[in-house]
Amino acid sequence: MGQNEPVPSLLLIEDDDAIRTALELSLTRQGHRVATAATGEDGLKLLREQRPDLIVLDVMLPGIDGFEVCRRIRRTDQLPIILLTARSDDIDVVVGLESGADDYVVKPVQGRVLDARIRAVLRRGERESSDSATYGNVVIDRSAMTVTKNGEDLQLTPTELRLLLELSRRPGQALSRQQLLRLVWEHDYLGDSRLVDACVQRLRAKVEDVPSSPTLIRTVRGVGYRLDAPQ
Amino acid sequence: MSRLRFTSLRLRLVVVFGLVALTAAVSASGIAYWLNREAVLTRTQDAVLRDFQQEMQNRAGALPVHPTQDELQRTAGQMANSSQRFSVLLVGDDTNGKTVYGSSDGLSAFALDDVPTSLRKAVDKQQKVTDSNKATYHLYWQRVVDHGTPYLVAGTRLIGGGPTGYMMKSLEPEAKDLNSLAWSLGIATGLALIGSALLAQAAATTVLKPVHRLGVAARRLGEGKLDTRLRVSGTDELADLSRTFNDAAEALEKRVDDMAARDDASRRFVADMSHELRTPLTAITAVTEILEEELEAESGSVDPMIEPAVRLVVSETRRLNDLVENLMEVTRFDAGTARLVLDDVDIADQITACIDARAWLDAVDLDAERGVHARLDPRRLDVILANLIGNALKHGGSPVRVSVRIDAEVLVIAVRDHGPGIPEDVLPHVFDRFYKASASRPRSEGSGLGLSIATENARIHGGSITAANSPEGGAVFTLRLPRDASQLAEESNDSGEKGA
Repeated sequence: MGQNEPVPSLLLIEDDDAIRTALELSLTRQGHRVATAATGEDGLKLLREQRPDLIVLDVMLPGIDGFEVCRRIRRTDQLPIILLTARSDDIDVVVGLESGADDYVVKPVQGRVLDARIRAVLRRGERESSDSATYGNVVIDRSAMTVTKNGEDLQLTPTELRLLLELSRRPGQALSRQQLLRLVWEHDYLGDSRLVDACVQRLRAKVEDVPSSPTLIRTVRGVGYRLDAPQ
Repeated sequence: MSRLRFTSLRLRLVVVFGLVALTAAVSASGIAYWLNREAVLTRTQDAVLRDFQQEMQNRAGALPVHPTQDELQRTAGQMANSSQRFSVLLVGDDTNGKTVYGSSDGLSAFALDDVPTSLRKAVDKQQKVTDSNKATYHLYWQRVVDHGTPYLVAGTRLIGGGPTGYMMKSLEPEAKDLNSLAWSLGIATGLALIGSALLAQAAATTVLKPVHRLGVAARRLGEGKLDTRLRVSGTDELADLSRTFNDAAEALEKRVDDMAARDDASRRFVADMSHELRTPLTAITAVTEILEEELEAESGSVDPMIEPAVRLVVSETRRLNDLVENLMEVTRFDAGTARLVLDDVDIADQITACIDARAWLDAVDLDAERGVHARLDPRRLDVILANLIGNALKHGGSPVRVSVRIDAEVLVIAVRDHGPGIPEDVLPHVFDRFYKASASRPRSEGSGLGLSIATENARIHGGSITAANSPEGGAVFTLRLPRDASQLAEESNDSGEKGA
């Protein structure tokens, strides 16, 4: 934790008082600025007012649930979202990832794990080398951290952007899901490969001309994914 | 119909029907035959004897007391020419006291030898004349069989002297008639037998069809199809039986449903309970970490007096976390909601990462070559390995040897420890939930769910785990997983969606 680093501001949306308080306590101790909301509606309101860097979102909320909150945020915003799910039921995870979440943690979550995930997600938006690459009509500008398609800016979440960057760094080379999980999500060897699949689907929807028959981000059976320049 | 056992109901019915039909047919035709035979024979016989008597009176009576051979011969020929066509033999004494014979068919055909001795004696016997018996000689007859042909032989003497006359009449036409009658009766009996067998078959079918249906239904019920019911038709005993069967099946179904509902309820209770435990546990876990950091801080900000208490809270919270996590896992398997998340992994890498993450590298001896790939759920493989290796370290002691090989598209991972092995009586129970080898075993050895969860995780891959003792000492747990679990995963996901 560098001294000069700006303190990340988080929005925690969680309905259970005890969990909210405990997580706020824990995250604050880890060096985050934490704003909290008890419902999805309050959370969306706070989001407009405070512009946090990241949202930690509970799935089971009274009123509109976490998935719906996630979908509403994604309509206008690309800021990172980490889902807090009480159930590691697979349906929940898949729905959460489809609604646009960047990562998820399963309760009871350890503060340290959550902190590590938060930092990993935030790092994805960081700038790196200053060059650009062109793949057909898609231009990836690494210095400006933007991606344009036919000259128009694409709205990518930091995770989607990072995934595209990691793939574009090794064009024509297949990367396994486990490799991508390490590179993009900074997960250990037990990362959930569905994170990669869901993110690739979202990225294809934005980048590809025809998302169902991708020409840019190719699936390599039995291995993972590969970025190709369209022929 | 399919199996005709000797004791089968069908066979017994056929036999009984057959016996009844046979008895009835044989007695009926037997009586008919005998009555008919007597009637036919008596009628023929009476006519023949009457004729013979007539001829004896008319022709033999006209002979002198001592006739000559020629006279006898002629008279016999005349007598034989009567309507009844019988052979005649006349025996008389000529004037010289010599016995002379006259036969209708020549001397060779019908001789005195053909007449049974008993008959001759009876004919020659002189009767006493009484009120009821007015004649000194009677006419006697006897039926004989010569070379398979039945004959009627009769003889009499003329009262007041004269030749003795014998006649012989073939009964062959009558025998033929009676024979054909017997044949017809036999055929009728046979037909009756066949008919009775067919009837028995029909009766057996009407009885056995419901019995067969009942058998099929009972078998289906036994296979667990508890909604099996029989169609009840009619009011006979078999319908009663069907009704009883239906009642029994209904009661059984209700009973099983009740039990399943209760089982479901208790499972749901455990699932809800572990779920509910999570919420406070999440809060506690988050805060416990703050306490933990305080303990680790060198400043010594925790009061030495309460430090042990804080440590206890921290460690027990972690244990509670593990327990709830395991409970959740178990309830997911019970509810069938556990799903595979497949990925291609390098097995050696995966095992290394698993033991590295738990700081077991020094205690585990890994015998695996890199480059062995399999398509499976890496998280579940990690759970299995962590449980097996952790268990081996705990009970067997290091070094624990983990070996990997591929055996016909099956991944085989063996985990062997160098401990005392597993007692034979414990071996079958090592995968049971909360099974403790002895009551005195300290409870800190684990949640008691580890190996059970490991087995479930192997099973969901279509694999298995077996426990055994190595001949060289120590326990060996062998994990077998199909190298590619994708087909199984698709199937289970499909069925899960249908069930949802």
